[in-house]
Amino acid sequence: MKFLRAFLSTLAGMPKVAVGAVAIFLFLGIFAPWLTPHDPNAQDLLQANQDMSISHWLGTDHLGRDTLSRLIAAARTSVVGMSLVLILALSVGVTIGTIAGYRRGWVEEGLMRIVDVGLAMPSLIVALAVIGIFGTGYWNMILALALAWWPGSARISRAVAVNVMNRPHIESLRVLGASPLRIYFKHLLPTTLGAVLVYATADAGAVALAIATLSFLGLGIQPPTPEWGQMLVDALPYLEASPRQVILPGLALTAVVIGFNLLGEAVALNRVPTPLSAKILRKRQLTAALWTREAA
Amino acid sequence: MLSLVSRRVRNSLVLLVLATLLCFTLVVSAPGNIAVLIAELRSPNASFADIQKIEEELGLNDPIPVRYAGWLTGALTGNLGISYKTGEEVGPALASRIPVTAMLVAGGGTVALLLSLVFGFAGAMWPRHWPDVAGRGVALLGASMPSFFVGALLIYAFAVELRLVPTFGLAGPSSWILPWITIGLLPAAVLSRVVRVGLEEAMARPFALTAVAKGLNRRAILFRDALPNIAPTYINALGAQTGVMVVGAVVVEPLFAWHGVGDLFLTGIRFRDFMVVQACLLIFISFFILLNLLVDIGMIFTDPKLRRQGS
Repeated sequence: MKFLRAFLSTLAGMPKVAVGAVAIFLFLGIFAPWLTPHDPNAQDLLQANQDMSISHWLGTDHLGRDTLSRLIAAARTSVVGMSLVLILALSVGVTIGTIAGYRRGWVEEGLMRIVDVGLAMPSLIVALAVIGIFGTGYWNMILALALAWWPGSARISRAVAVNVMNRPHIESLRVLGASPLRIYFKHLLPTTLGAVLVYATADAGAVALAIATLSFLGLGIQPPTPEWGQMLVDALPYLEASPRQVILPGLALTAVVIGFNLLGEAVALNRVPTPLSAKILRKRQLTAALWTREAA
Repeated sequence: MLSLVSRRVRNSLVLLVLATLLCFTLVVSAPGNIAVLIAELRSPNASFADIQKIEEELGLNDPIPVRYAGWLTGALTGNLGISYKTGEEVGPALASRIPVTAMLVAGGGTVALLLSLVFGFAGAMWPRHWPDVAGRGVALLGASMPSFFVGALLIYAFAVELRLVPTFGLAGPSSWILPWITIGLLPAAVLSRVVRVGLEEAMARPFALTAVAKGLNRRAILFRDALPNIAPTYINALGAQTGVMVVGAVVVEPLFAWHGVGDLFLTGIRFRDFMVVQACLLIFISFFILLNLLVDIGMIFTDPKLRRQGS
């Protein structure tokens, strides 16, 4: 479990705001059923489009459903969907990446060519195409996103695996007579997994955003299940009368994505570059060292 | 240099062939019988014979490699099949929509280009002062806000409340502004950081120090010495962001009721109109491969190190 400790110690050195935003998101997601003041799907047309009040803290939507409850329940939809996508994408990606890193030569060439094709296409387009062929639905969305996301983790894990395999102690292990399976499962896989887990944390925001985008387009989470993107598109026709119903889910989603982006920035996998200060450089070296640290 | 370019072209062609294979496989692996769908479209009470006739017509009984070859030669000559939903030819329908998307992406790109250069330069000119801090904040927000939320906020503020521009549609310059900003904000955010960081890194190099020693002021050094240095990085990032904008078109076009390729793709997905989905996917993928190629070639031309390496 050393990689878990390495993971947690990396997390401790990250921006507090980002860790806070993501922690709140995960907390709401995990404990949503016990936190919602009302049933998120209970309609009450007599209470439709209410303003903020004691019983409905953030008002109600056009069907009289409590907005606060729906926002909280939507966090759960997001957390569950995101985790499923990442677990699926990482299992495929890490397996393929480590195999390519372990067995160099034509196996690596072939596998990485497939990964290249996957990386040449934007994730959202791949996910949309898969949904277009196999139809909408919860599991189709999860599978489509996993299919779109695995090449990224495959590439990272191959890079880490190659790095690990080039270290002297692997050669020593071979000389000592360690079996290939032992080297793969006891030495290569845990190390690679620790590194890729950091990457996944940074990439989780993009997955959450993709789920919201697909739901916004009506191809992801289907009503009445609350989901931020779907809540936003649901309220769009009533933009003039109650803009709050559009703005609140958008803000929630933005906060989560900002949190994950800041985390990503801290592990130098950001899309938005920051100036390189001595502090950041030092942190990067530390992170890179952590990625490839061998689990005993 | 030519050998370097030709190697990139060859790699792109291989990628393109693999991508067409993927497009084709995706539709072949679709669940359900396509012939039944078409037969039902043509007449509600189609007989088994009708279905067989359609299967024969479309060559659905041919071996997979033959079907792939047929589809590929068709696609190369612009024949992308017939929509199951409307019965129209997909090729011309797609072609008529490309200008709309091109206009959206070009407009968004202009917004991104202008904003990123202004914010990036301001940040590098006065590092760690308010323009820099503000630029960084706006960039983080711009990179994190989903485009549909940005669009909805812009519609609410400028179309609903202030009534300055139409809420949706494609009618005259006033209706272009909101979609352009919506699609250009994310690239602007990312690119402004690329400019800002690139300039700062260039300013830390010895040649910049020499320029300072010669007595040049900071603005002159930024423009004349630092700017050419960020060109390869900027072109690379601009290419990547053009791709991001094309993907963004899928979200932004329906929001503003623009009938571009993204909108067509979505309609195809909603009605599971495989030929439309396949055609749009093919166009998207070809575009991305071409874009990557152009970026690579652009970098070879702007980066002297790469240029020398090839010859």
